[in-house]
Amino acid sequence: MRRLRPLLASVIALAACTSNEKAATSSAGEAGGTLIIPTSGDASDLFPPFVGEAVGRAIQDMVFDRLAEIDTTLTTVGDKTFTPHIARSWTWAPDSLSIAFSIDPRARWHDGKPVLASDIRYTFNVFNDPKVGSPVAPTLTNLDSVTVRDSLTAVVWFKRHTPEQFYDVAYQLVIIPEHVYGSIPVEQLHTSELTRNPIGSGRFRFVKWEAGKRIELIADTANYRGRAKLDRVIFVPSDPATAVAQILNGQADFMEAFLIDQASKLDSNTFARPIVIPLLGHVFLSMNRFAPKSKTTPHPIFSDLRVRRALSMGVDRESMLRNVFGNVGRLAHGPFAMNASYADSSLHAPPFDTVAAKAMLDSSGWRAGADGFRKKNGRPLRFTLTVSSSPTRRRYSVLLQEQFRKLGAQVDINQIDGQPPYLALRAAGDFDAMMDGFSPDPSPSGIKQSWSTSGIGKAGQNALLYSNPKVDAELDSVGTAFTPLMMRQHASRAFRQIIDDAPAIWLYDMVVVNAASRRINVTGMRSDGWWANIADWTIPPDKRIDRDRIGLATPKS
Amino acid sequence: MRRHIVARLGQSLIVIIIVTTISFFVIRTAPGDPFSYTSSTITPAIRDHWRQQFGYDRPIPEQFIRYVGSVARGQLGYSFTRREAVSRALAEAVPRTLLLVGVALSLSVFLGVIVGVLQATRRNSWLDRGSSAVLLTLYSLPDFWAALMISLLFGIWWKVLPANYMVDPSLHDYMRPWDAFVDRVQHLILPVATLTLLTMAAIARYQRSAMLEVLPADYIRTARAKGLSEREIVWRHAFRNALTPMVAILGLLFPALLGGSLFVEKVFSWPGMGLLASEAIGGRDYDLVTATVIIGSVMVVVGNLLADLLHMAIDPRVRE
Amino acid sequence: MSRSFARVIRDLLRHWSARWALSVIALLVIAAIIGAFLHRSSAIQADIVRMANNPPSRAHLLGTDQYSRDLLTRILSGATVSLSVALLSVVLSMTLGTAYGLVAGYFGGRIDGFMMRLLDGFLSIPRVLLLIAVLALWRPVPISGLIFLIGVTGWFSISRVVRAETLVARRLEYVEAARALGTSDVRILWRHLLPNVAAPVIVSATLAVGNVISLEAGLSYLGIGAHEPQASWGSIFHEGVAYFAGNWWVVLFPGVAIVVTVLAFNLLGDALRDVLDPRQLHGSDTPLVSSRALPLSSRALPLSSRAKRGI
Repeated sequence: MRRLRPLLASVIALAACTSNEKAATSSAGEAGGTLIIPTSGDASDLFPPFVGEAVGRAIQDMVFDRLAEIDTTLTTVGDKTFTPHIARSWTWAPDSLSIAFSIDPRARWHDGKPVLASDIRYTFNVFNDPKVGSPVAPTLTNLDSVTVRDSLTAVVWFKRHTPEQFYDVAYQLVIIPEHVYGSIPVEQLHTSELTRNPIGSGRFRFVKWEAGKRIELIADTANYRGRAKLDRVIFVPSDPATAVAQILNGQADFMEAFLIDQASKLDSNTFARPIVIPLLGHVFLSMNRFAPKSKTTPHPIFSDLRVRRALSMGVDRESMLRNVFGNVGRLAHGPFAMNASYADSSLHAPPFDTVAAKAMLDSSGWRAGADGFRKKNGRPLRFTLTVSSSPTRRRYSVLLQEQFRKLGAQVDINQIDGQPPYLALRAAGDFDAMMDGFSPDPSPSGIKQSWSTSGIGKAGQNALLYSNPKVDAELDSVGTAFTPLMMRQHASRAFRQIIDDAPAIWLYDMVVVNAASRRINVTGMRSDGWWANIADWTIPPDKRIDRDRIGLATPKS
Repeated sequence: MRRHIVARLGQSLIVIIIVTTISFFVIRTAPGDPFSYTSSTITPAIRDHWRQQFGYDRPIPEQFIRYVGSVARGQLGYSFTRREAVSRALAEAVPRTLLLVGVALSLSVFLGVIVGVLQATRRNSWLDRGSSAVLLTLYSLPDFWAALMISLLFGIWWKVLPANYMVDPSLHDYMRPWDAFVDRVQHLILPVATLTLLTMAAIARYQRSAMLEVLPADYIRTARAKGLSEREIVWRHAFRNALTPMVAILGLLFPALLGGSLFVEKVFSWPGMGLLASEAIGGRDYDLVTATVIIGSVMVVVGNLLADLLHMAIDPRVRE
Repeated sequence: MSRSFARVIRDLLRHWSARWALSVIALLVIAAIIGAFLHRSSAIQADIVRMANNPPSRAHLLGTDQYSRDLLTRILSGATVSLSVALLSVVLSMTLGTAYGLVAGYFGGRIDGFMMRLLDGFLSIPRVLLLIAVLALWRPVPISGLIFLIGVTGWFSISRVVRAETLVARRLEYVEAARALGTSDVRILWRHLLPNVAAPVIVSATLAVGNVISLEAGLSYLGIGAHEPQASWGSIFHEGVAYFAGNWWVVLFPGVAIVVTVLAFNLLGDALRDVLDPRQLHGSDTPLVSSRALPLSSRALPLSSRAKRGI
């Protein structure tokens, strides 16, 4: 009986495949395999409007679909590089202030009902509703509304014609079914039982969520885009030590952010191999020009540009990188990740030169005393370094503390546990120096959120209150550049100015070492999410192990 | 006799009330509230709405009265980190801890008693002194370190047994009944072994001194004079009498085991009460934390009560 | 206590276990003192690229951690913190417990009943769970707060023992005589009753130190106990445990330090018990007076024969 099930599954899959026009590869018969993925922490939400953190995002992208999907180059300008998903095709209005999306008639929700234009409208309304408080809402400011022209045509209306308006719709809106969730009042969505059982239209379907234990997804065999090539994916929240041990033992199949200094073990491990992915994020140590919590009083130490430059030059960024990342690290050049479409490799952070740094500190009035620490007008060169719970950043903060000590600065480390209190401190400007980082969207509009005057305040990310009119001007031009080349030029000029202003010490580009089982063919990893094409990962039949052979059976319990 | 039992029950109830009060006030007076620290998707408006809905904007004494009221109705609150009722989360987690602690306690008693008796009957021999040294060392191990070392040795370096979770995360649901049972047993072994090693040492030491108190007693010498075999003397007479104080500490070992199981559950990712509590505390899930502390204390109180009643049943001397 | 201090020590040193334990503890105190001076230098990392995560070698006897800090140095300075926290919190526990027990045992009756009910309540809350809840919710807690919290949750079982002893001791002739003479209660408690209960308190305190070292290490391992810059043995775990599958020395050596220390205090406590209260050698009263495993129920356990006669 057990042998029949995988056979049955293959037959069904084959049948589904033949009815699928897109079945280019004939690997339906090879479909199979179970993936165990240890995650750092359980998902907090699986309902797309609420999803904010990594685990939830992975599952959301597997269970739900978008109108169209961005490609691996992460180009956000225009619509040429997007692959149709729910929307089979789309037509621009002549004034470009609206786009009519034609829904693929084969698209079905996992409960069998067809995907309709009213679902698109419902999705936008929910994402945009202030009572829902979706973290995606600030990115939808250019979308005005969605109307239904007929059951399979939805029209999205924009406020302005921008280079990224298609990206705004296609990347941010994850389509949810109105017939399932529409009847729940918006305020009750957070506590509703239904939102814990996501019903989507993606190539995986949701099976169950045992809080704190596991989340199980299974291939949607009748999916209009073809079933996922794996049978089953199980996410198991684990602490890092456990997860590392399980990867090295072959008991788990994929781990995002494998501990970096254990990564060398993966090179020779029989079960797993390392996959290094550069990310779009970068990490830096920001120095608050203003006194903590103040928007006007200058900071006694960091308001001086020379001090900021001196400290930037006085730390050995290369050695710290090697200590934390081994050989896989990437040094940051400036306020951007080298992997981004707007990066400029000709820009560099200030060079490492302790002699010059010390001289600069001396000349700005900070003289070393007998104990080695510097003072100016009786005030010691002492400040607090605030850091979140990220282990990498904590490691850096300890290393930086030592580097600063050698320069004559005394640093106290303030470790904040948990994201929300850290974010609260950041938003209030209640810090001297802070290990900060940005993980922007592929779009360069994220830079504005961080480094322009308009990014100051609740709507943006500009915690440093950094403001320079030249930068503002260049970043505005970035937003209106309709070609990638122009966009890069403006961005580069903005970055050059920011580097000169030395508001932060540029430390490293976020790089992640993922660990993947050697038996899996991993494809299509994107910098914004390793899971982007997980539905196309395969496990060749000759490499399968016990748990791969479970098939598509439903659990007994 | 019956009056005594009623009195004990009444005392236990009072104790539970005291415990509930202390736990509630200690936890609720902590800085912040559960809504400051939930996910970033919550807007201030929703936060205020929830504060109002769940009564967190009221003064603390009023919150306490509401809490007692809902507990009396059987509702222990709502867990924000798990998005489910607290009672449901606990209903799943508590039996798992009980399984772990129960098996460990039984094994510890069984092994500890045997070792203690053997030690007492061979007092000051090599066996006695050697095993005493070993037991004292085991007794001195910190719970979490023992758990770490055991999981390292037997779960990672020398991979004989699973060192994580209660069941295999992928295959268990699809196993045949026998395989599923074996799977459960396999996952139980390492955490139970950790708890047992530490508790057994305490029990053995206790049993040894209890036996040593009884062995020189008059009635034992009488039995020897009567010509009974040593074995009969040990197991039928001395042991029975030394068992009485054993029963007393059984209930008292419970809080220690619960505390130890917290670390063991964390290291082995055993999804019981201890792990639930530490996750709830990290996520500032106040209702869940309060309920866990209360339920843990109730378990201790019940354990004490049962031990006392059992002791009263066995030992007529203690009945007043 | 009828024996003089010198006699106690002499009897104590007859036990080889006590000799071993005392020498270990002496070494520990020396290590702690050295550690206090080394504290500064343990923060220095020499070559953060090549010397990180090195297994034990000639240069670094116990290896290095991920910041290329020498583990031996860290263990030495950790000894300072671990021992200080344990000693101070045990002093607090013993003070509170002795006072409570003396008052309950001396006044007896309704007061005693009420105090014991309250104590039952306190004893029923699992100590570790409550400590974790409080430390995590009020995080970050300074080291003084940690000492206070551990001390304030550890006095329950000793107060039971003190109460039992007080109940016996208050019937002694000279105590009755003192009362008849009209001596104030406080003076009686302080001069007559306290010395009688000193023996079990000392034994209990010794065992408790070992227990607290273990407890504090566990809390620091979870991240809510001691933390930088006052790193204890447990906090060395906290930083290193994520890597323990690879860097076994970071987990093994601090653990061995803890085990050896706790063992020493347990041995010393056992030996002290043998010396100070020989009637308890075979008594089932307090064979394992340690707040770790066995808080006592004053009702359920048969007391030693002398105590029984008193009640």
